[in-house]
Amino acid sequence: MEFKDYYKILGVSKKADVKDIKTAYRKLARKYHPDLNPSEGVGEKFKEIAEAYEVLKDAGRRAKFDEILEYGDQSSQGFQPPPGWQQNQHAYQGDPNADAHFSDFFNSIFNGGFDQSHFHGQAQQHHSRGQDVETELAMSLQETLHQQIKTVHFQLPVSEGGKTHHIKKQLNIKIPQGVINGERIRLKGQGKPGYGGGEPGDLYLHIRVNSHPLFDVKKHDLVLTLPLAPWEAALGTKVTVPTLDGKVTLTIAANTQSGTKLRVKGKGLKRKDKLGDMYVVINVIIPPISNDKATQLWQELAKNSAFDPRVSWGEYL
Amino acid sequence: MMRRLTVISLNELCQLERIESHHIIEIVENGIVKPIANANSKDWEFDTSSVHWIKKAVRLHQDLEIDWLAVALLIDLIQQRDSLQREKEFFQQQLRRFTQH
Repeated sequence: MEFKDYYKILGVSKKADVKDIKTAYRKLARKYHPDLNPSEGVGEKFKEIAEAYEVLKDAGRRAKFDEILEYGDQSSQGFQPPPGWQQNQHAYQGDPNADAHFSDFFNSIFNGGFDQSHFHGQAQQHHSRGQDVETELAMSLQETLHQQIKTVHFQLPVSEGGKTHHIKKQLNIKIPQGVINGERIRLKGQGKPGYGGGEPGDLYLHIRVNSHPLFDVKKHDLVLTLPLAPWEAALGTKVTVPTLDGKVTLTIAANTQSGTKLRVKGKGLKRKDKLGDMYVVINVIIPPISNDKATQLWQELAKNSAFDPRVSWGEYL
Repeated sequence: MMRRLTVISLNELCQLERIESHHIIEIVENGIVKPIANANSKDWEFDTSSVHWIKKAVRLHQDLEIDWLAVALLIDLIQQRDSLQREKEFFQQQLRRFTQH
């Protein structure tokens, strides 16, 4: 079992008073709380910080820990409590009361020694409900247009004999039309099994809509960037553009600028009672000059045009 | 085939997630989430997105030892940050499409 120096984790001295401990905890919590910091790995780090705070803010638990710190064997073979230490080994082995929020080290010292009910309000009882599990489901943009039946593969952590292992599960799930990126779908009773006959937790599916090579998404609208040649933008033209489920022909007016947005009604994403639009954004592309004829034509245009694209710069030059 | 659940009642939320009902009332009163139907609190129902924010609010309230007003402000800022992040990604993608030629 790995020894944990709670003082080191919070970065406080062994003489720190409760106020110092609280300040150190709050500072670290702001930095490492997984709800405030989405980076990977902060969850584990915060768990360690919260555990250290649980021990050091409570005089009784802190005294117990100080005793361990002074007399325990923290050698490389792993932590051993001092001889004669009254840990409840029997209760610890696979006991569901051992709080899953805390480390083995914590549970071996304090398991059953205090009321855990205040921590996250999730006391482990003899008949307790299993935890909820979150998993991600990737979908393409096209798939959101219609109801889909998707097979979801996920892993469930299961505790047996004090050890946690994962079992693979798969479920067929009906995904309604119009789901959006980030949406969560709840599947009752598909989470972690309960303890002692308790109900299983729920499975929350977190929908991730994959990015599309052509379309970008803004709420329920789609945005398509349409490349045009300079003469198409200058003279006007008709262009056929793809939609998510077909194609439409657009009329481009003469003298259309780069960045102009054209709205194609009802060709966005479908969602319950709403139907989004598709916006086509014009991007005028200058062709790479490939031959003398093209250069000659540009030169002719330059000679005959009075157009100054930097006219608004006048006073700065 | 499974039935997809879109709503969860106040009672269910308290029992299943072990969240105390007075905490949920504070969360609603501070405008962090809105019940689907604004009737009597005992009839409240929440969508799955609200459940996500309720759980987050409870964790922040307990782990950071801050009051509900501070939780509401914090969640407001988290939602603004998330929305700006999405907007930034959208504009970066647009910029790539404009400059990749």
